[in-house]
Amino acid sequence: MSDGPVRIVIVGGGTAGWMTAALMSRRLPAADYSVTLVESDEIGIVGVGEATLPHVKIFNDLLGLDEAEFMRATRATFKLGIEFRDWNRPGDRYIHPFGAFGEPWGGLEFQHHWLRVKRAGRPVAPLWDYSYSVKAAWANAFEFPDTDPASVRSTYSYAYHFDAGLYAEFLRGWTTARGVKRVEGKVVEIGRDVASGLLQSITLQSGARIAGDLFVDCTGFRSLLLAGQFGAQWEDWTNWLPCDRALAAPCANRGDFSPYTRSTARPAGWQWRIPLQHRVGNGYVFSSQFISEERARETLLANLESEAQAEPRLLRFAPGRRVQTWVGNCAAIGLASGFLEPLESTSIFLIQAAAIDLVDLMPTPGMVKNGIDPALSAEFNRLSAMQYERIRDFLILHYVANSREGEPFWDYLRHMEIPESLAQKMSLFRSRASLSLYQYGLFARDSWLAVLMGQGIIPEGYDRAADAFDLAMVGDKLDAFADRIARNVASMPSHARFIADYCKAPQ
Amino acid sequence: MSKAPLHVVVVGRDIALWLTAVSLQRALGTTGVSVTAVELPASLHPGDVIRSLPALEALHNRLGINEADLIRATRGSYTLGWNIAPPAPATPFFLAHGGYGTPIDGGEFFHYWAKARHYGLDLDFETFSPTAVAARQGRVLLPDADIEKFGRADYGYHLPAIEYAGFLKGLAHRAGLTSHRSHRVVVERDEVAGAIAAVRLDQGRRIEGDLFVDASGVEAVLIGGGLGRAFEVCAAGSPVDRILVASAPRFASVPVYSEVRIREGGWLELLASQTTSQVRFAYSSIGCSDEEALAAARTAAQLPLQQARVRTVQSGGRSDPWTANCIAVGAAAHQVDPLFDLDLHIVQLGIVHLISLFPAHARFDAERDEYNRVLASNLARLRDLPRAFYGLNPFHAAGFWDAAQRRPMAKSARHKIEAFRARGQIPPMEDETFAPDFWRALLVGLGEMPLTWPPPIDLTPPDALRDALERMLDFIKDKVLEQPTHDAYLQRLAQGELV
Repeated sequence: MSDGPVRIVIVGGGTAGWMTAALMSRRLPAADYSVTLVESDEIGIVGVGEATLPHVKIFNDLLGLDEAEFMRATRATFKLGIEFRDWNRPGDRYIHPFGAFGEPWGGLEFQHHWLRVKRAGRPVAPLWDYSYSVKAAWANAFEFPDTDPASVRSTYSYAYHFDAGLYAEFLRGWTTARGVKRVEGKVVEIGRDVASGLLQSITLQSGARIAGDLFVDCTGFRSLLLAGQFGAQWEDWTNWLPCDRALAAPCANRGDFSPYTRSTARPAGWQWRIPLQHRVGNGYVFSSQFISEERARETLLANLESEAQAEPRLLRFAPGRRVQTWVGNCAAIGLASGFLEPLESTSIFLIQAAAIDLVDLMPTPGMVKNGIDPALSAEFNRLSAMQYERIRDFLILHYVANSREGEPFWDYLRHMEIPESLAQKMSLFRSRASLSLYQYGLFARDSWLAVLMGQGIIPEGYDRAADAFDLAMVGDKLDAFADRIARNVASMPSHARFIADYCKAPQ
Repeated sequence: MSKAPLHVVVVGRDIALWLTAVSLQRALGTTGVSVTAVELPASLHPGDVIRSLPALEALHNRLGINEADLIRATRGSYTLGWNIAPPAPATPFFLAHGGYGTPIDGGEFFHYWAKARHYGLDLDFETFSPTAVAARQGRVLLPDADIEKFGRADYGYHLPAIEYAGFLKGLAHRAGLTSHRSHRVVVERDEVAGAIAAVRLDQGRRIEGDLFVDASGVEAVLIGGGLGRAFEVCAAGSPVDRILVASAPRFASVPVYSEVRIREGGWLELLASQTTSQVRFAYSSIGCSDEEALAAARTAAQLPLQQARVRTVQSGGRSDPWTANCIAVGAAAHQVDPLFDLDLHIVQLGIVHLISLFPAHARFDAERDEYNRVLASNLARLRDLPRAFYGLNPFHAAGFWDAAQRRPMAKSARHKIEAFRARGQIPPMEDETFAPDFWRALLVGLGEMPLTWPPPIDLTPPDALRDALERMLDFIKDKVLEQPTHDAYLQRLAQGELV
């Protein structure tokens, strides 16, 4: 292509900006694309110690990052799932694992066999004993999954907890070494073409003017370009996800060095615990409709395993998304495109998915001259809507299926009207333990199974095809499977030991 | 009804009846469910041939059907895809059931091909499909480890319909289900619940059941006649309202594909089996009388046609194919444009989802809602295919094709086309039956070429791309030459050399 490179300008240098820049430096041919990232040292980033999903490993592998080096640099630990404490009712707990429950037999999903044996009155282990990730997580153990699909050790995957600020910094070093230009400065002016309405340039406080053909808005909640310039419409989801504040504070680790994130239900929200190598990240996500900031602060400080290392930092947010995340020559990635609370650690996934889609749908040099094909942004927007809506439904499930009676926040959630797409999934599971699955977008079979069961939605029936199998035989198979997991987990190294050997950060 | 359904009554005819009944019996018979089939008079004619999509093989496997037995018993044949033959001088193009090319550096093959074409490559997309190349040479493509590593090697069947229905009926009886024949069926409703309590057959027979499956085809004797659920005609569904069906003698050499010939007043399809060939001519009664259609079919087929008859077709469906305790499958639930022979696949979709949602207890609202949702979603994706075909057709034949092109196009089909033009992508959508490369082969065949490809494709150096393409062509050439011809393969099957 001979029209000169497409000038991509990424505005904002947090996790979203640097992940996008890193992917572009790896996946866009240098002859056709030049990438500049503008960030201001004055503007802080939201990164508060981040929990991720296994997809981030695929992203890092796509870049070709060295895992141990990345983990040392970001003080990272491993993550096998998320523990939910007191969510259904005080005193209970379950894990949403990054791995399978059991295995399908005779063309039927595992839970049908498990329920059938349980209903028949034969003693059977709890569902959680059939997940390798859950057992390993609760044992505070870690090792890499086996690549041999015959091994029960192949039935899980893993993610990380890391310091998102350090991850952005790590990617900044990696990315600038690969030709992405970094410019420091605060945007004071935005230039648009009067006729086409397209963005042309940004001007920094220093007076420097940066011209571009495609702008990526990674400015976080402010959405400086997409909302600020194009007024992209906001779809508000507060009625389903009323949490709109978080207070975050780190502390020293006095509890378990656990390979999982913990989410503990609180009277007006929930509290996260994210163990990093050098500290524990904590935060109380709450709804300002149900609790004051002061009361939330007290709740957080009263529920830390050691003294807070800093005064709790307040974050304000609104759940929802921009109806269009790519308008004209401006695409938004990260918080500039929408926000979903960190309950299922989805924010880095949303950045990654949008960055990959944007690279695949990136305008070519020829288009910059002749106009960007609107089908590219239409597809980007369709995919973005799908991702957000899938996650939204999954988050709402945690809230609506609660038995915490007598607490106004939880009572509201239990009785609210929910999206039809979620209501159907819940009633189908309640009726027959079947999962209404989709092929595209986040959260597959085992994730839905874990949270549906964990939140106490007990199926009234199961697929009757399970009755065709010999009860004693299936019961024995179940016992053997749980036993295989227990034996394998018993021989795993501890998470702390594994980190020390593999990727311990220098003190 | 206070307990989980135990007795299922399937009312219908021909393939839909027996495929449904035997599938339910096999899937649920061991769990205490009993299945009764009520057989209405057949609507099939001698010489009718039904075409399947690759997915049918999976259902057959669940039924324990051995493919060699099936082909021997029905004298059917294989189909590797559709050869679409536009009027001369345009050249035909092939829509293969199997895969096209292999990924390069983790990127989808299609984009590399599109790029190579842009820079002057003179080879069609189908050249990179082992399935299409085998079809052009009159050979089957028997999957082995190398072929499966290269890509999918899927195929469908052309099955003489009466023989296939008979084969399934035999299977059903061996599976132990009860059956009755009746000229007509009257639905007896439960006045309180609005559900079907029983069906009355002729000679005073009456059959009660817990669930009733309507497999009666367009007659929709239960869901339509019995429960009064309206058939909603899909306004933008199809330009075809008539189809002329006729038989022709078997070809000396049986084609291993289906052929669609584009003609001025409509399109003609040839489905070849070992005993006969079926000719179908689809047209619109607005621009073509039945006599004109017969003349057009004769000219297009260039075969002697026998037993020609015309039937009306419509596109549309019922929004609640599962209503109360009645579940409609196949044409009783949904009808689509006859292009791409989707009828049997629609029956299969109904069966598969009914089995996976078979009520676990007496209340089954959730199962019903899910069945209706998932069927509607699958049908919407299936309908995109003929919509795109008619909407894009470059055939410029006056009348039928121009009118077809002017029809409003559904948003989903339009978005697929636009994303393909812009970037060569087929937008991923749930419940899609046809693979992205099938879609791409169709759109390329209709004259569309993407303007660009995903930028990461350019990271592969040109030499590496050229080498990769050459390796694929060498592989395909060698592998296809190893394959038996369709005729030889059918002969070996008939002689019992293959099991």
